Amino acid sequence: MSTPAANFNEREFVICQIARLVEDKYIYWVGGGGEPLSAALLAKRTTAPNLQYLTEDGVVGPEALVPFDPLMNMISSRANYRALQWGTMNYAADLAHLGYVDCGILNTLQVDRYGNINSTVVGKYEGGEGRRFGGPGGADSIAALAWRTILVTDQQKRKFVDKVDFISSPGFLDGPGSREKHGLPPNTGPWRVYTPWAMYGYAADCQLMLQAIAPFVTVEQVLAEMNFKPAMAPKIAVLEVPTEEELLILRTQIDVAGQVTDRGRWIELKDGKYRFAE
Amino acid sequence: MRILEEGKGEYLRVDPDGHRAYVRDHKPHQMVSKLMSEKDAVARFIQDGDYLAYDCNYFQRGPSSLIREIIRQGRKDLWVCGKFTYVACALLVEAGCANRIDLAFIGFGPWIARAVKEKKCAIYEYSNAIMTLRLKAGAMGVPFLPARSFGGTSGFEYSGCKLVEDPYTGRPVMLVPALNPDAAIIHVHQADEFGNARVFGTGIAHQECALASRRVIVSAEEIVSTDEIRRDPGRTSIPHFAVDAVVHAPFGAYPGTVQGYYASDPAGVIEAMGAMFRGDFREYLKKHVYSVGSHDEYLEKVVGTKKLAELRRRETIREGYGS
Repeated sequence: MSTPAANFNEREFVICQIARLVEDKYIYWVGGGGEPLSAALLAKRTTAPNLQYLTEDGVVGPEALVPFDPLMNMISSRANYRALQWGTMNYAADLAHLGYVDCGILNTLQVDRYGNINSTVVGKYEGGEGRRFGGPGGADSIAALAWRTILVTDQQKRKFVDKVDFISSPGFLDGPGSREKHGLPPNTGPWRVYTPWAMYGYAADCQLMLQAIAPFVTVEQVLAEMNFKPAMAPKIAVLEVPTEEELLILRTQIDVAGQVTDRGRWIELKDGKYRFAE
Repeated sequence: MRILEEGKGEYLRVDPDGHRAYVRDHKPHQMVSKLMSEKDAVARFIQDGDYLAYDCNYFQRGPSSLIREIIRQGRKDLWVCGKFTYVACALLVEAGCANRIDLAFIGFGPWIARAVKEKKCAIYEYSNAIMTLRLKAGAMGVPFLPARSFGGTSGFEYSGCKLVEDPYTGRPVMLVPALNPDAAIIHVHQADEFGNARVFGTGIAHQECALASRRVIVSAEEIVSTDEIRRDPGRTSIPHFAVDAVVHAPFGAYPGTVQGYYASDPAGVIEAMGAMFRGDFREYLKKHVYSVGSHDEYLEKVVGTKKLAELRRRETIREGYGS
């Protein structure tokens, strides 16, 4: 039973896309809260009931009780409820080093052509000139060590740049072979980038490749919100909208207070077409 | 071993032999009572110019009452381990206590931005798990540990790490320098008067922090008997000989949470985050630090017993926490 929804917002759309990718048979490292955690929790209540994820504080396979108080997405009893194991940060990093982490799911400020992640500075680093942000946090370990990584960001020109001002966490660095040269384990790296408007993968030369778009935007609109032209898949697919069932769970069991989803534009189905609501 | 690339960041001198000698000469090998007030603990064990590590942060089972006491006593020139933290670094820098940060994740805020621009605060770049690995090396008594992350990042260039050719596999591998902080402050659920301490639930690197650091202050929600510690030794997270001072600090993590004991105070968290984002902690410091002489007085006069009771009630999950 699945009914395509007629009304949803951009944030709900992207969470549902990622939730559908998440599978029971893998172990995830979910960065922070926000869309990555919402997607994992939605998957746990829909397609992947036995989903296991870690967070930076070394929790293994919790059954988190949402919503959390502000910033309490780690080292809190609700976030870490009914886990399989409680560890520490070095333990989480050990598991990722060992190869247990199949996939990381991360939010990011800025991403470039090779999937490199910037969460440190926009503008010049030296001399403290640019606008500073918090730093890589745990994302560096996830991006370096998980077998593959899903990134979530907004479809905005300033978020997609040809080359990030600062590599906080590694994508494919300079291209094929570059990760290994810098000591990262082989066969790891970026896999997908999701925005509320589009889904990207990577071409054989490690460059970001547009693969699919949301039904409420055009390819031109997506490209207009990027600072560089990505590789293009031979055929650009159209992503499926959230179902009523997914939205019900998301709205009533996961993000009940709208902490994650209460921003972004609304989309409606009108005359058989999805478009931004007036 | 061939060095392929190295960061140019300054780092705390790596000196495992010095640390061993310190442990032999100064750590309390014998079981002695170390229960004291936070005022005495900070006065005796935190010095100007120290490299300071704190575990967890101001909002999550962190030593918030000890951070406030350090500010109250006006320590200067601290070099801070800025991993997994939101406001503590900004508080310490703005209060004039810290001027160097090993940065993995912090709430940066306009005050630190300004301090960096004016060269009043130096930043060295790391990531969270690279910093906890540095502490692990420090806690193992070895000069460095290898990691397979951090390579290729821009942060590496501003760190004390080195990319070398691994003598076993011949492939590039990252080395992180051991970190042996001068001082560490750690908040725990339970401790006995000697410093045998228990942390329940997940953590960042409390054990590594305690073992790697020269002087260690543990603040505890509850002081328990050594019999209680001996009843379930598998739950001892930190041994007494790593600890120099034990402070009884109920609600020591306020406005943060201590898992299983009390919830965070969302209004208190937002007040601190707001001040950090505005780049102005003056009002915050006045109200939460300088207006009182101790943590007890703070709880009584600023937070209030009604609020504390509410935070205990709001923490409804108990399984796994406590004895």
